Amino acid sequence: MKAKILIVDDSAMARRGVRHVLESAGYDVVEAEDGLIALEGYFLDKPDLVVLDLVMKGMNGLDVLKKLQEMDAGVRVLVVSADVQDSSRELAVSGGASGFLTKPVDRAGLLTAVAKALEATA
Amino acid sequence: MMELTALQQDALVELLNIGFGRAAASLSQLTGHRVLLDVPQVTLHAVDEVGEALERLVHGHVASVHQIFTGPVAGDALLILDESGAAILKELLTNEPALPLSIDASAREVITEVGNILLNACLGTFGNLLKVQVSFSVPHLSIENVGAILESLMVAHQGIRYALVVHAGFRLRDTQVTGYLMIVLSVASLDRLIHAVEDWEQAQR
Repeated sequence: MKAKILIVDDSAMARRGVRHVLESAGYDVVEAEDGLIALEGYFLDKPDLVVLDLVMKGMNGLDVLKKLQEMDAGVRVLVVSADVQDSSRELAVSGGASGFLTKPVDRAGLLTAVAKALEATA
Repeated sequence: MMELTALQQDALVELLNIGFGRAAASLSQLTGHRVLLDVPQVTLHAVDEVGEALERLVHGHVASVHQIFTGPVAGDALLILDESGAAILKELLTNEPALPLSIDASAREVITEVGNILLNACLGTFGNLLKVQVSFSVPHLSIENVGAILESLMVAHQGIRYALVVHAGFRLRDTQVTGYLMIVLSVASLDRLIHAVEDWEQAQR
């Protein structure tokens, strides 16, 4: 069965890029353009992995990560953010993220990180 | 008027070289074109002179992506492109033809995300090197003349007397895309920045 991945990013360009890579690798993809839609989407779609941006309008990514953890302690989240700060990476990982990539992401790096995060689910 | 010492200026330019270099690498990765980056310039101005200083660099109608950053060091970061450069950049990133001098919805979305990536690359690198945590606002795109952009910055900086303006021009090789990365800091932040830069410079020895 194909894994389902929820992309959460307020940039349509960023969502398009990630969707293109993931779909071409055979994954099912759903999208959310902000944190609240992401939480609803996680509840409804039950994705295997969430690809999450950090700096977004409304709820920021770290708050979304915290809420997702509260909803499902087993949630797998890969953070993909333009924020290159080590401290942001540490905050995301200590908040439960399975991985952290900085934008712009390359195809191979994204697919490797996604596979690794999904492996951890099994 | 406050002055930076030669050592402070040198350390600051080196820090900017690394931060802007990271941003240039990101832009190159996004577009597939080599990015030529000017040496960063650091200037300290009385607030009422900032407009004049910036208008010497960029004129007329421009596309600017503005992000406010906060933390121990706070200020405004801007990516500035002229309108035709913004349209060409959109074309490069989407393979969709852009009408000359046209910033449509698709171009707005692309330029905003490019600004987000470049400004975060630059400021995040500063944060890493100086060991300070910087928080970012969501990026905001404006298409207007330089004067209007400056007005919005000045409103946000009411009550301050001096501002540090750092900028670097860049060009995508084999294209007509040129632009500026620019950071405006208040002097309160400047003081903290200088101390952090001095600590960083000491740690390099």
